[in-house]
Parts: sequence; structure tokens; C-alpha cells
Amino acid sequence: MATSTKTREFLNETGGIARFTGQLFSVTSKPPYEVREFLSQCYSIGYRSFSLIGLTGFIMGLVLTMQLRPSLVYYGVESKLPMMVGIAIVREIGPVITALIFAGKIGSSIGAELGSMKVTEQIDAMEVSGTNPYKYLVATRVLAATLMLPILTVLSDAIGLFGAYIGVNIKAVTSFRLFFTQIFQNLQYGDLTPAFIKTFLFGFAVGMVGCYKGYNSNKGTRGVGSSANSAVVLSSVIIFIIDLLVVQVTDLLGLN
Amino acid sequence: MNNQGENNIKLGVFVLTGLFVLILSFYLIGKNRNLFGSGFTLRVRFQNLNGLMEGGNVLYAGIQAGTVDEINIINDTTMEVTLLMDKKFKPYIRKNALAVIGTEGLMGEKVVNISAVNKKAALIENGDQLAVKRVIGTDEMLQTLSQTNNNFAVVSGALKTTVAKINDSKIWDVLNDSSTASNIRASLNNITKTTANAREMTRNLDQLITQTKRGKGAAGLLLSDTGFAADLKTTMVHVKATSTEVNRLAVQLNQVVQNVNADNGVLKLLNDTSAAANVRKSLENIQKGTDGFNQNMEALKHNFLLRGYFKKQEKLQKARQ
Repeated sequence: MATSTKTREFLNETGGIARFTGQLFSVTSKPPYEVREFLSQCYSIGYRSFSLIGLTGFIMGLVLTMQLRPSLVYYGVESKLPMMVGIAIVREIGPVITALIFAGKIGSSIGAELGSMKVTEQIDAMEVSGTNPYKYLVATRVLAATLMLPILTVLSDAIGLFGAYIGVNIKAVTSFRLFFTQIFQNLQYGDLTPAFIKTFLFGFAVGMVGCYKGYNSNKGTRGVGSSANSAVVLSSVIIFIIDLLVVQVTDLLGLN
Repeated sequence: MNNQGENNIKLGVFVLTGLFVLILSFYLIGKNRNLFGSGFTLRVRFQNLNGLMEGGNVLYAGIQAGTVDEINIINDTTMEVTLLMDKKFKPYIRKNALAVIGTEGLMGEKVVNISAVNKKAALIENGDQLAVKRVIGTDEMLQTLSQTNNNFAVVSGALKTTVAKINDSKIWDVLNDSSTASNIRASLNNITKTTANAREMTRNLDQLITQTKRGKGAAGLLLSDTGFAADLKTTMVHVKATSTEVNRLAVQLNQVVQNVNADNGVLKLLNDTSAAANVRKSLENIQKGTDGFNQNMEALKHNFLLRGYFKKQEKLQKARQ
């Protein structure tokens, strides 16, 4: 009986998210466009996340280099360190870690913000005033998250590679030019393009899950925290599922 | 409103920076693959690509010069690889340049290496086909190594038999003998002493030769005396004459001996037993004659006519003594 209820809840949740997502496409394509709110969300979601994403990216590159180095020295291929770090950051670690940090900061923020608006009936008030709350609140946030995460990922990758350069130079001496030449000589479009494309999907998932959880929040102020928390957890899981699917598709296309 | 504008500017900078980094990344990757700018193509036909793939690097004299653009199968033993080359290498690559498939590092990806030949040839043109340099592949190396391994096994077996024979031989007993080392040591000491003596002898000989050269000593005098040769020559002439004379005497002596050995010679007489009896009888007669003579002489000494003479003779003899 309990299993049946959980299954029903899961299916209900899945259907709710699907409906919520489908609603986005139908609403976004019709004017009026909330450009100002969209830019405002881009600023708060993208620009204001940059410092956190940049810091984690730098540490990620530095630590990854220092962790990889002993193994490569053991096998006598220390000179391949820039290549390995470059491919690892660009292909996988950069997009996924950035998306997870993004989910932690933005997913929870959107979930909490919309959840509090829901429980304080601000969303209902917007509907009454003739403003489409979905278009104003959800569409702008989802679009902003979808477009800002790829840019954040690119910048995070760049900072991460700079951190890796510093990591290499802690134990050895490599010129800046040689380091980046080695990285880009071994990178291909097959490395960069799928990684870049999947960040759009990550951003869309984080924005959509955060908005869904916040928009459907209930149980008062307690529900706000729950929405924020479940938004982060669910979006993190979805990030890994999307990553798994993209790897399979990339492999099928022969880009691996 | 001002705050909103400022935020938009910050957002614009943020987005543009991200796009710039993204475009720069795409450009750098494309530049390494010669996707931007005009280049030229070359063709190479290999029998075996050994895992070479499209997008692989092309090196000219070890420098990144292009990428593998296309791979086509011409027939069952010929694969044509089209190389997209950087145009800055066009003034340096000649028609007789050789291409070979190599490996980047020990375990790296396959690359096409183009190397120049030290002979004059015209510069390469777009679409030219390069000749292939034949190199020993890993399979051939392994085959050779396998053969070497078999030979080594045979040699190893023979060596094992030899070692077994040595172990069973007396030489091994000698080597195992604890006194061998001390004997060898003693022998070495002796050799050392002998060597020292030889050195001393050599030194003395050297001194002797030096002194001889300077004309010191008998040998030196002989060797350095210029008149000695003439004397020696004269001596040799004399020796030769003497030798001739001796030869002549020997002939004569030979004649004498032949006469002695003849039937009527002295030697025949010596061998005759009757002659010996006659000689013995004669000697006895002589003995008797001599005794008689001694008695006569003694009688003469006591004769008053000759006594004075004998006494005088005795005195003279005593005076001489």
C-alpha cells in the first residue's frame, strides 16, 4: 500500500514537472516578453554567481592537478599533465562541478524565493492583478539559468585551467604559453562542443526544478525550506542523469 | 534606474567575457586543426595506416605542420591519406620528401611524419603525392625478436651442456682447490720477481750496448776499432792458408796411415803374435845387454884412467844443483 502511494507520488511529481515544463514553451513563445525581469534574473543568477563559481573552479583546477601529478610521475608521463587536466576540466569536471555549485546556489535560491511568494500568496496576487506569474517568475528564471550556466561554465573552465597552471608550477616549471599550447593541441571540437551543449541542459534543469519546487510549495514557511532543499537535491540528481545521457549520445555520435 | 543600468553593464561585461573565452577556445582548437586560413593538401598512399585517424597530426621535421584531413581506401592494399597542410610550410617541403606513420611519444597517437631528403628537387605543389618511407613495423620487430629468442634458446642449451662438462671436469677440481689461490699468488710473486730481474737484465744489457756503442770494453773495442776489420781479414786469410796446409798434411797423414795399415805395414806387425814374442825376446836380450853395459860402465868408473873424469862430472852436477 505504501509502495503504491510512493509510486503514485513519484508519477504525480513527474507528470507535474512535465506539465510545468511544457507550459514554459507555450508561454515563452507568446508576447509580451518580460525582458527587464529576464535581464535582472541574468544579473542575479549569472553575474552574482560568478565569484563563487570562479573560486570553486580555481580550486578545482589546482587540486585536480596536484592530485593527478603523483600518479603521472609514477608512470613517467608527467609531461602529459596539462593535457589530462585540460581534457578532464573541459569535458567533464568543469561542467558538472559548476552545475552542482550552480544548483546549490541558484536552485535553492529560486525554490526558496518562489516558495515564499507562494506561501505569502504573492503569486495569487499577481494573477489577480493581471500579470502572468508563470511568465514573469518562472520563464525568466529558467531562461536566465539556461543561458547563464554555459557562460559560467566557460569562465569556470578558464579559471580552472589557470588554477591547474599554478598547480603545475608548484612542483615544476612550465611556461604559460607551453601549458596552454599543450592543452589546446590535445583538445578537439568533440571535447568542447558536447560539454558546452550539456551545460544548457544543466541550466535548464536547475532553473526548471527550482521554479517547480518553489511554485508548488505549500505547508507554510516550513514548505519554503523543504522546497529549497528538494530543489537542490532533485536538480543535482537530474544533472548526473543528463550527464549520463549526454555521454551516451556523444558516444553514439562518435565524438568520444 | 541607475542601479538597473549599472547591473546591465556588469551583466554585459560578464556575458561578453564568457563568449570571448568560448570563441577563443573554439578558435585555438580550430587553429591547431588548420581549420582557419588557407592551406594546401598533400596525398600519401600507405599499405597500412597502423591506427592513423582523421584529425591526426602531421609533423614536418618534428614541427606541427598540418592534420590528416581524409582517409580513403583505394584498394585492398592501398590507403590514401589526404593531408591538410599549413601554407607556411609550402616553401620548404620538396617533391622528394618522404612520409612515414609514427607515434607521438611512446604510447601516443599515430602521426604522419614528413622528412626532407638531402637531394635537390622542386618544391611541392597543392595535391602532390609524397613517397612513403619504409620503416620496420612492430610486428616485423617482434618476428625478428622471436627468431633471436629461438637462437638464444639453442645457445643457452649448448652453454648449459658446456657448463655441466666443466663442472664434471678436473679443471673444476683445480678451481675448487683452496691451495690453487695461494699457488697462483706465489706464482704471481715469482713472476713479479722474474719480471724485476728481467727488467734489471734489460737495463744492464742496455748499459752494455750503450757502452759497446761508445767503444768501451773488449766487445766495444772490437766493434768500434776500424783497423780490426783489416786485421780480421788478414787473420782469416792466414787461417784459410793454414787450413789448406792442414788439409794437405791430413792427406799425407792419411797416406801414412794407409801405409801403416797395409799388409806389410807396422800395424800388421803389431797384430802379429809371433812378432810380439820376437820383440819380447829382443827386449830381454836388450835388457841383458844393458845390464852388461852397466857393469862395463861401472868397471870403467873404477878404472884409474877414467876415475878423474867421473868425479869431475859429479862436482859439476852438484854445483848446478
